[in-house]
Amino acid sequence: MAGDRERPIVVGAGVNGLVAAFYMGREGRAPVVLERASQVGGIAATEEFLPGFRASMVAPLAGPVTPRVLADAELAGHGLEWLESPVRVFLPSPEGRGIVLYSDAEKCAAEIARVSPGDAERYREARAALEAMAPFFVRVLETTPPAVENLSGSELFRAAKLGLSLRRLGKKNMLRALRWLPMPVADLASEWFETEPLRAAIAARGIFAARLGPRSPGTAARLLFQVAPWGDPFAPIIVPRGGMGALSEALAKAARAVGAQIRTEVQVERILVKDGRVAGVALTGGEEIAGRTVISGADPVRTLLRLIDPAQLSTGVLQKIRHYRIDGGAALVHIALDGLPRFRGLDSGSSSTAPPALAGRIQIGATVDALERAFDDAKYGRISAEPYLEVTIPTALDPSLAPEGKHVLSAWLQFAPYTLREGNWAERRDDLLQVTLRLLENYAPGISALVHGARVLTPADLESSYSLTGGHVFHGDLAMDQMYSMRPIFAHGCYRGPIPGLYFCGAGTHPGIGVTGASGLNAAREVLPDLRRGGS
Amino acid sequence: MAESYDVVVIGGGHNGLVHAAYLARAGRKVLVLESRPVLGGAAVTEEIVPGFRFSVFSYVVSLLRPEIIRELDLVRHGLEILPLDGTFTPLEGNYLWRVDDPMRTRREIARFSALDAEAYEDFGRAMVRICRFVRPMLGTPAPDPTRISWGDFEQLLWLVRRWQGIDAGDKFLLAQLGTSSAIDFLDRWFETDPLKATMSASGIIGTFLGVRSPGTAYVLLHHYMGEIDGTFRAWGFSRDGTGGISRSIAGAAAEAGATIRTEARVARILTRNGRAEGVALESGEEIRAKTVSSSLDPRQTFIRLLEPRDLPAEFLEEVGRYKFRGSSGKVNLALDALPDFTCLPGVGRHLRGAISISPSVEYMERAYDDAKYGRFSRQPYIDMVIPTLTDPQLAPPGKHVMSCFVQYAPYHLAEGDWDSRREAFGDAVIDAISRFAPNIRKIILGRQVLTPLDIERIVGLSEGNIFQGELSPEQLFFQRPVGGWARYRTPVSGLYLCGSAAHPGGGIMGAPGRLAALEILRQAPIKGVS
Repeated sequence: MAGDRERPIVVGAGVNGLVAAFYMGREGRAPVVLERASQVGGIAATEEFLPGFRASMVAPLAGPVTPRVLADAELAGHGLEWLESPVRVFLPSPEGRGIVLYSDAEKCAAEIARVSPGDAERYREARAALEAMAPFFVRVLETTPPAVENLSGSELFRAAKLGLSLRRLGKKNMLRALRWLPMPVADLASEWFETEPLRAAIAARGIFAARLGPRSPGTAARLLFQVAPWGDPFAPIIVPRGGMGALSEALAKAARAVGAQIRTEVQVERILVKDGRVAGVALTGGEEIAGRTVISGADPVRTLLRLIDPAQLSTGVLQKIRHYRIDGGAALVHIALDGLPRFRGLDSGSSSTAPPALAGRIQIGATVDALERAFDDAKYGRISAEPYLEVTIPTALDPSLAPEGKHVLSAWLQFAPYTLREGNWAERRDDLLQVTLRLLENYAPGISALVHGARVLTPADLESSYSLTGGHVFHGDLAMDQMYSMRPIFAHGCYRGPIPGLYFCGAGTHPGIGVTGASGLNAAREVLPDLRRGGS
Repeated sequence: MAESYDVVVIGGGHNGLVHAAYLARAGRKVLVLESRPVLGGAAVTEEIVPGFRFSVFSYVVSLLRPEIIRELDLVRHGLEILPLDGTFTPLEGNYLWRVDDPMRTRREIARFSALDAEAYEDFGRAMVRICRFVRPMLGTPAPDPTRISWGDFEQLLWLVRRWQGIDAGDKFLLAQLGTSSAIDFLDRWFETDPLKATMSASGIIGTFLGVRSPGTAYVLLHHYMGEIDGTFRAWGFSRDGTGGISRSIAGAAAEAGATIRTEARVARILTRNGRAEGVALESGEEIRAKTVSSSLDPRQTFIRLLEPRDLPAEFLEEVGRYKFRGSSGKVNLALDALPDFTCLPGVGRHLRGAISISPSVEYMERAYDDAKYGRFSRQPYIDMVIPTLTDPQLAPPGKHVMSCFVQYAPYHLAEGDWDSRREAFGDAVIDAISRFAPNIRKIILGRQVLTPLDIERIVGLSEGNIFQGELSPEQLFFQRPVGGWARYRTPVSGLYLCGSAAHPGGGIMGAPGRLAALEILRQAPIKGVS
């Protein structure tokens, strides 16, 4: 068996794997990173889906990436350029102008005041509350959760520190945070706003990539994890120039710069276990790499049920992972457009530059009830009759992604349940494009005529092309019982796997709410002391 | 203004009466004021159809705290609990029957799945262990993480130490019960769909959630928390209906010297300089008291009985956000004969327990879907009991009363109002029953349909919520009813809450009434000794 046993092995060069590799390298423990695909990035990849048209295929937007990773990895020095949209969310209306939620807080409040002066006031209040809470939520995201199964010694200390940072918010905001976290996001949205599209804009973040509806308890926590660190009810839209693949490439450079070795087109077939601890990995083709430490960026089901021999796991762990909910509920529709779609009531500007409203998230799904109904269909194994669409037009900010004058439109479509009660995904793929265009026609009439071509990723495609079990982009449903200390499974929720030497660093760990890099950051922090102990 | 009391208790429901009994026994001069002619609040027995006596609202009991039964000597005051024999779930061409005989239940479940029959016993044992762990918390006030007092800190440490003392498997179960949906929790144990559907029903009762909504496993646990291994086994009937419970508590309170008045509706809580100093009745009569305890819910107490200026604006805002969202109704039937179920015809032991219309998980979930958009369930979940098979005196010889708890019936209807939809709702319930017991229509001598609006009007439970507010995670423990105000006190000095809206919540449990009394007496135990 080749390799230095002390050199850690990272399975998968997704954003979290690369972030973990960077932090380990920085501390003199650079790993070897093994990636199945020909390029790094995992779900954060830019691909040419039609000649001349490129899109961020699975993750259309960055989480945004957690501030500490951005600062530490100095990605600008590795060629990354961030583009920030002047608009965070655009809520088009079939009738008129819709609502444009600007990144600038005052401009945003003024726009909200146009539809509801009361809501503008509430927006300011919610913003002030979230700004005050931001340090706590940044801490929640960027630190390892206390291991609740063992609340003694250091874990109790960890919990106490977390409690202290919560107390530091002051009694009012502390109570607010505790009350908000387990709530259904629909209730929080109605506390914040009276205007239905604004409520829906809030609710949609709470259910993004979940198999939950806005009335499901715990969805407010999902929202808060995404927005509270940024101190605003609507998180900023910050994308890498060149699509998400550019982020991954910059991270790969940063990791290499600190000594990480990244190998692509090598597929890990098995994580080897000897005498009850990790011994290395076996690659497809027979090569074996020895290593006492394996950090898996693959999803927990793939890691524990496919890469590891089940005989090495206790029945308790096997039972837990078999009940881990990892069926995805969303699909992606990428459309190449011959021109910019014209949304009703929106000043389209000149043909060469897109109106700012189109540079953020464009949300189709105007009421909380509509989102809930979309979820109802998924409960019974149907594609939503009126799915919620989160549309981005990446070319509005970054024209380099398409030939001149042409555009790319990416629609996140929810719900499209992994397991269909009738039919299969191969025969339903085209339905997803049709329903997307049908819905968009209500807001941007004539869009169908601009279609040059399209590429649809069903949950089955997400599974087969991107190694996502169940087609779930978050590596497993992010609901209260699969969250925080219990993510992915109880007693193994703090980046440490159930076998000595095995760690998790993917989205199947806390926080797991999109491309933030926080899982990789936290995982590296847990691995490093163990490496030092083992190495000495 | 002649009379003056140490404590005046608003509301003569079971919690108000428990509260009064404890205070009177400690030597306080106590007055209980009940607006209705009958004591008991939602635990009352009334003759709705001539000759037929109904537990009009709540209809079964298991949660009543054993320390209350013991300390108030309720058995001597007439409390008698009769066994409720299992749960029968009729299905199309089949049935699922769990009965108070473990071997028989095992055989019945094994007809569906041998694995489930095995798991059912493990599940029962696990729930007993979990309830033993959680139970002491029902006898203590909730620890408040927002306070820094030594007592709170000590209590948190006590909880942590208890947590450290249980094994890993039980920790996992507790964590699941706190965060999962009822179905996700049950999925880990069982594969039989009607079994999961019927068991999950306890997870939604009194909430506006579905069996797949996260958080409902906690409500399931709440319903399991009856005295499983004590004086009673599981659920039971009170002799002479749930009014019998209220009467026994009232007897204990009266014997200890409490004065109890019915048809005395409180119109206002009197305050001066931020202190409660009595109540004014609708008759105009004013009654002075050093302490006022309200067993009513927060909306009734803080919004109806107080002026906005009596309370801090922030507190009022929180009260305004408190979620009631009544989701259930009740249909009481006077029957000429017994219902005859197609899947198990004839009169048998299966009719003596709970009869659950919960044929599948999808049936339960679809019932919730209707409610989400403001309709009563076209095919509702129904929990039926026929108490006359156990306690024949409730109806004339040979006749029966049947009590049907129905969910979902949302308080806010999208179309029409409850006064015009009441009978349509009743019809939907009868339709759902007749699908399994077609003779039901022919044997009905009288029916009473209670919508959430009726429950609000008659008993004063806001929005008809049977728990005085949803048992959702943000409304439990130190956040019940309002964060930082879970210790029975209120911003008005001398005003206490002693009803189900206070920790640990609803059901015929009596714990809030007792704990609030101990708080007033300043004898509240810090640890789980009861």
